[in-house]
Amino acid sequence: MSKLNQTDIQGFVLRGYNLPYARYVFLHFEDASRARALIGRLLPVITTGQLWDNGKPRSTVNIAFTHRGLAALDLPEATLLSFPVEFLQGMKSRAGILGDTGVNAPEHWDRLWHANAVHAWLGINAQTPAALDARCSEIQALVQETGGAIELASQDAAAIMDEGKPTTREHFGYTDGFGNPDYLGVERSTQPGQGKLMPDGSWAPLATGELLLGYADEAGELPVAPIPHILASNGTFMVYRKLHQNLASFRAYLDEHAAIYGGGREKLAAKFVGRWRDGTPIELSPDGPDQAIVHDPNRNTNFTYGADSEGTRCPIGGHIRRVHPRDAFGFNGRLIDRRRITRRGLPYGPPLPENEPASDGDDRGIVFMALNASISRQFEFVQQQWIEYGNDAHQGNDKDMLMGNHGGKGKFVVQGDRSATNPPFLCNHLPNFVELRGGDYFFLPSITALGMIALGVVDPR
Amino acid sequence: MSNINGKVYAMNAITPMKPWKTSVLKTIFFALEHIKPLQQDLINLSFIEFARWVSVPRNGFPYLGNGQAREELKYDYLLFFSNFNGTWNQYIDAFSAVLSKGLDLVWRWSEKFPGSVPVTLFKEYIARVQFDTDYYFTAYPHATANDLKSAHIVQASFDSLIERTGKCTPEEFGDAYLNFVIQVQAYLGDTGQAPIVF
Amino acid sequence: MPNQNGTIYGLTILSPIINDEKATPSHDLQIRSYLASMPVGEDSPFALAPGTHLARLVVMDDVVFVGAPSIEEHLQSKYLVFESNCDGDLDGYLSGLAAAAPQDLDAIWSHCVGYPGAARPQAFVDYMKACQIETTFFFAAVNNKSVPETLRALQTQRAVADFIASHQGMEPARLQAEFVHFATRLRSAPLPKPGSPASPRPIKTGGRNE
Repeated sequence: MSKLNQTDIQGFVLRGYNLPYARYVFLHFEDASRARALIGRLLPVITTGQLWDNGKPRSTVNIAFTHRGLAALDLPEATLLSFPVEFLQGMKSRAGILGDTGVNAPEHWDRLWHANAVHAWLGINAQTPAALDARCSEIQALVQETGGAIELASQDAAAIMDEGKPTTREHFGYTDGFGNPDYLGVERSTQPGQGKLMPDGSWAPLATGELLLGYADEAGELPVAPIPHILASNGTFMVYRKLHQNLASFRAYLDEHAAIYGGGREKLAAKFVGRWRDGTPIELSPDGPDQAIVHDPNRNTNFTYGADSEGTRCPIGGHIRRVHPRDAFGFNGRLIDRRRITRRGLPYGPPLPENEPASDGDDRGIVFMALNASISRQFEFVQQQWIEYGNDAHQGNDKDMLMGNHGGKGKFVVQGDRSATNPPFLCNHLPNFVELRGGDYFFLPSITALGMIALGVVDPR
Repeated sequence: MSNINGKVYAMNAITPMKPWKTSVLKTIFFALEHIKPLQQDLINLSFIEFARWVSVPRNGFPYLGNGQAREELKYDYLLFFSNFNGTWNQYIDAFSAVLSKGLDLVWRWSEKFPGSVPVTLFKEYIARVQFDTDYYFTAYPHATANDLKSAHIVQASFDSLIERTGKCTPEEFGDAYLNFVIQVQAYLGDTGQAPIVF
Repeated sequence: MPNQNGTIYGLTILSPIINDEKATPSHDLQIRSYLASMPVGEDSPFALAPGTHLARLVVMDDVVFVGAPSIEEHLQSKYLVFESNCDGDLDGYLSGLAAAAPQDLDAIWSHCVGYPGAARPQAFVDYMKACQIETTFFFAAVNNKSVPETLRALQTQRAVADFIASHQGMEPARLQAEFVHFATRLRSAPLPKPGSPASPRPIKTGGRNE
């Protein structure tokens, strides 16, 4: 296929920037023409997918819109109606489908999300806090000048530091950042295990259309996309979810159950996820973490579950096995190729060392963003069928251990064997380790599409 | 919604077939019935509880007299009844992704069938030939095909363990119990309600 | 033989619905209306009569016109489709239905041509067989377990998971004693009723089994 035009695609889609500081700013448009003027002024500073030959920029800027935001920009009615139904409805209306009930229900979300006023998301990433503030001030100046938007609220996020150096750890202590898929045409360091499984056991990149609109997807057709084509092409959809983490509950649960688990604390923590907390896949190293594997890109995502069908190494309900089943459903992985998502995000709130007491009330968690060509086929499916439910993995109604909306019920089974350090073990009375505090569905347009939106020249067919 | 009861969905579809094609289809079904490996993919796609195809020749609609008018049809009709777990979209996506050759083999004889790949056209065709269920009963609405298979495994292991229980020492029992837990540990998923259809 | 797969029977019945222009509402609408109010859970006729795994009733209005160049044609009558996946032999199953739920059967099938009524069991069975269509290909995920065996297994599965969870780390003598006690209780527990739904959920889906 032809190479992607990286200057037309927002950089946020094509690669994780690995810039340790971020601010997500949420805007509301009052007047369509002033809002379009603002977008026109922002256009030159939007970071594209162009490779950084001269090293990383000090900061980056990207933009995305909710359906209400596109309507507030006066896109034509026919265009607005041609967007997929889940995007039209917005994430809040889909709460039942996603299992966002109980403590995760919209009435418990941050005030930002209550009035359905969020029209746009600005993602600003930076190398230092000073660079972040500087960039945000520049943008605020543009907002003031054009009178194009009201800033509703912003969310800061930052990598957890280890002696001043950014890590990819999150608050529960797990090393994150593995497993983003490879796509055809998207240049990044590819690793075995990230793409789709081929019959000969090798890994190939996924079809471009699983991430970007306007390209063939894994089903051999162009994904459903809004009209006109030029508005949709090189764009994608983003799911934004602010996930509060109940650190105290997590540590208490782990401590209480590790005390009676033959494999010990770190192993139990590893069983919840499928990776040791340092990132070693438990499938490759069942007895202990192994930094050599973690640092070897040819190994750290290169594994399948075929030899572990009973779950004795990686539990059948373990997090990474749920969200990326690889060959676990048979058919050479073909049932999962259209259920992959690209994740972005950073932790928010103050990190807390293991030996200091935590409180669930502390404001910390992770800002989770998923990029995919079809929110319903990809993110919503994974969330509903693989996180909040377990039938495809033959786990009935059991939910994902860490992310499931348990409400104090439910269970997680650690399959084991006869050895004393790998016994079968059941965890039940599961609390909510993670709580949803807000979010929505966004459309991330191409640079061309942004230009058309700014000029107000989007025409439906 | 009458197509759904608990975790199972009742799909009904009817497609017209030129009569000469019916015997070809019947031969294919005969092969499928008697060459078991051909059914393996269907078994491995483990979300179908029961499914059937029923070929109704054009003069095969039941006629009971009593004032009923006789049917005068040019086509034979292929009826399809499926009882599957999951959503309509998930079901068709899965078939299109992994069983397209088998599906095509069955439905290519039906008029205007577009092929099972790509999936969007296939879904449009199914939507056109599908008709809705008025009443749907399942004896176990809280269980999927996977849940059923798991439950039978657990029952069998449980029965074996009980047989041994009376005759052994506590140490022997402890050992047998560990074996039992290992046998059933992958089959203990809760049963309950289905996620909301979308 | 295609109607049977293992111990499961695939019953397909198409009953012509009475076509009477003077009936208001028409017979097919009366069937639909009755079906809409018939219970789908433990009180369903298919729960009260033995042997039904899954069954459906569908008023089939017409054949489908898939578009030119196919020929458009229509059925002279509507048909009530009865598709059942059931245990054991056909005669026994049908007689069981007639015995357990005659009012429901009559309310539905009295709108069909030539229906003799459930009060005459042999005539009822003969009528159903006259409307039976041979199943051409029948697939069953589990084809060797009856309805009671299935309900028993599901009950066991849930009870076993609870037992394992609450007995972790217990020393063998006590574990053995408690297991014996548990097994006895489970063996004598009443079989769950066919069609019982799961416990109520906090949010409504609008499905009829809420």
